Amino acid sequence: MRRAPIAALLLLAAASIVWPMLVDNVFYQRVGALVLLAAISASAWNLIGGYAGQVSIGHAIFFGAGAYSSLLCFTDFGWPPIAGAPVGVAVSLLLAFLIGTPTFRLRGHYFSMATIAAAELVRILVTTIKPLGGGVGLMGPATPRSVADLSFRSPLPYYYIFLGVLAVLLGLTWAMERSRLGYYLRAVSGGERAAQSLGVGVLPTKLAALLLSAAFTAIAGSLYAVMVGFADPNSVLGILVSVKMVIMAALGGAGTLFGPLLGAVILVPLEEWTNDVFGGSGTGITYVIYGAIILLIARFQPGGLLAIWYRRQARRAA
Amino acid sequence: MVEAPMLAARGVVQAFGRLRAVDGADLDVASGEIVGLIGPNGAGKSTFFNALAGDRIPTAGQICFEGRDITRLRPASHARLGIARTFQVPVTFEDMTVAENVLVGAFLRHPRRVDAARAAAEVLAFTGLDAFARAPARRLGTPGRKRLEIARALATAPRLLLLDEALAGLNPAEVQAAIGLLRRIHARGIALVIVEHIMEVILTLADRAVVFHQGRVIAAGPPREVVEDPGVVAAYLGRSLSRRRAG
Repeated sequence: MRRAPIAALLLLAAASIVWPMLVDNVFYQRVGALVLLAAISASAWNLIGGYAGQVSIGHAIFFGAGAYSSLLCFTDFGWPPIAGAPVGVAVSLLLAFLIGTPTFRLRGHYFSMATIAAAELVRILVTTIKPLGGGVGLMGPATPRSVADLSFRSPLPYYYIFLGVLAVLLGLTWAMERSRLGYYLRAVSGGERAAQSLGVGVLPTKLAALLLSAAFTAIAGSLYAVMVGFADPNSVLGILVSVKMVIMAALGGAGTLFGPLLGAVILVPLEEWTNDVFGGSGTGITYVIYGAIILLIARFQPGGLLAIWYRRQARRAA
Repeated sequence: MVEAPMLAARGVVQAFGRLRAVDGADLDVASGEIVGLIGPNGAGKSTFFNALAGDRIPTAGQICFEGRDITRLRPASHARLGIARTFQVPVTFEDMTVAENVLVGAFLRHPRRVDAARAAAEVLAFTGLDAFARAPARRLGTPGRKRLEIARALATAPRLLLLDEALAGLNPAEVQAAIGLLRRIHARGIALVIVEHIMEVILTLADRAVVFHQGRVIAAGPPREVVEDPGVVAAYLGRSLSRRRAG
C-alpha cells in the first residue's frame, strides 16, 4: 500500500507552514512560493500523466489558458486577475475535451507527440492574435488597486495561497487514489485491454482525469499570472512549461501522491541556483541539467525517487 | 419449447483481408453450461473467442447474449452485461497488488470502495488467492497470474465466463487445481466457454465440445463422442493417417 506514515505527514505540513517565517530571506521565501506553484502544476499533471499513464507534454495549453484568462479579464474588464481563474478553468475544460477526445485514441509516444503538436499549435496561434497581446503578451495591474488584486511585495502571501491550493489538490488526489476512478486510472495505465474486459470505460476514465488535471493546471496558470503579473506565449505556453511538469513528477515519482512535490522541491531551487550562479547565461545550463535528469531517471529509477521508499516499505512488509 | 440459449452466435465471419479466420461459425451456450472450443492451431477458435468477448467486431454474423444483440458492442459493455473473460497471455495489472487487481473488477458492481473491497475479499478467498492478496501481481508466476485473471473476471459478477487457454502452461498438479476451481465456479451457476488445448480438461469438464477447423465448426456434441468423430480425427491428425486408421 502506498501510505506515507501519518506522523511524517503532519511533520511535513507543520514544516511547510512554519518554514517561511523562520527564513528571513526574501529570496528563499520566493523560491518557496515557486516550489509550491510548480508542485501544483506537476501534481495536476500527475493525475493524467502519472496515475493514468497518459504522458501529456502539452499541459502548457491549460497553464496558458489560466494565465491568459486572468490577465485578459483584467485588461478587458478591469477584474482582479484572480477573478479570471474560473474563466481559465472553463476554457481549459473545453480545450481538454476538444483535445482529449481525439488524442486519447493514440497510445504511448503517439499520444505524447500529439499533445506536443497541439500545445505548439496553440502557442503559435496565440502569438498571432492581437487581443491576446500577440508575441508581446499581457500585463497585470501595474499597482495594486485593492487587496483583491493579490499584488504583494512580499512572497509570503503567495506562499500561503499556493500552499492552500496545493493542500486542496493533494487532498483531492488522495481521495481519488482510494476511489473507483483512482483504481480505474491505474488499471487503464496497467493495460487498456484488460481494463476494458473488466467493464472500465477507458475513454471516459481518461477524460475524467484529464478534465480534473486541466482544471488544476489552469488554476496554477492563473496563480502564476497573479504573482508574476505578466504572461507571454513563451513563458506560459512554451514547451518547457509542459516539460517541467513532466520532469518534476517523474523525478519524484509519477503516479504517487507526493512525487511531484518532491520533484519540485529538488528542481525549482536547482533552477534558481543555476540562474543565480551562471546569471543570464545560466538559463541554458538549467536545460542541460534537465536533460541529464531525464536520462538518469530513465536509466536508473523509472519509478522516480519515491519508488525507492515504497520498495523499502514493501520489503519491510514482506 | 426449448429455452432460448444464453449466448447465440450465428454465421460469425472474421476476415483479415482475403483470409477468413472464422468463416460462418455458429455457437449456442445455454445458461449454466460448460462448452469447450477445441481445434488444431490456427483453426480460428481464438479469433472466434475474441469476437464473443467484443474485442473485435466480426466482419459478418450476429452474436446475442440473453436476447440482446451484442455484435457491435465494446468489451466494457460485455462486462457490464455479465460476460467476463481471461486472456491467452495473462495481462494482470503489474503495478498493483493481487487484491487491487481483483478490486478493479469488483468496482463494476460496487461503486463504493468498502463494498468493492468486501466483494473482492470474497473472490480472493473463493479462488484461494487470499494468501497472496498483498503481494504485487508481478511477483506471481504463470499459474498465479492465470488464477488472478479468473479471480478478477469473477469479481465482475459474470453469468458467462470466457476462458482463453486458462490452463495452458500449467503442470499436471496445477491443472487439477484449476479444474477444481472451474468446477466450483460452475457450481455457482456461471456458464463457461473454454478454449483449451488440453483434451483432458475438455473431456472432464465440458458438457459439450465444439470443434473448429479452418474457421468452421466441423463437429459439436458430447466431448467423448466428438473426439471419436472421424472428421475431427482427420482434422487433428491429418487425412492420410485417419484414412489408414479407418481402413
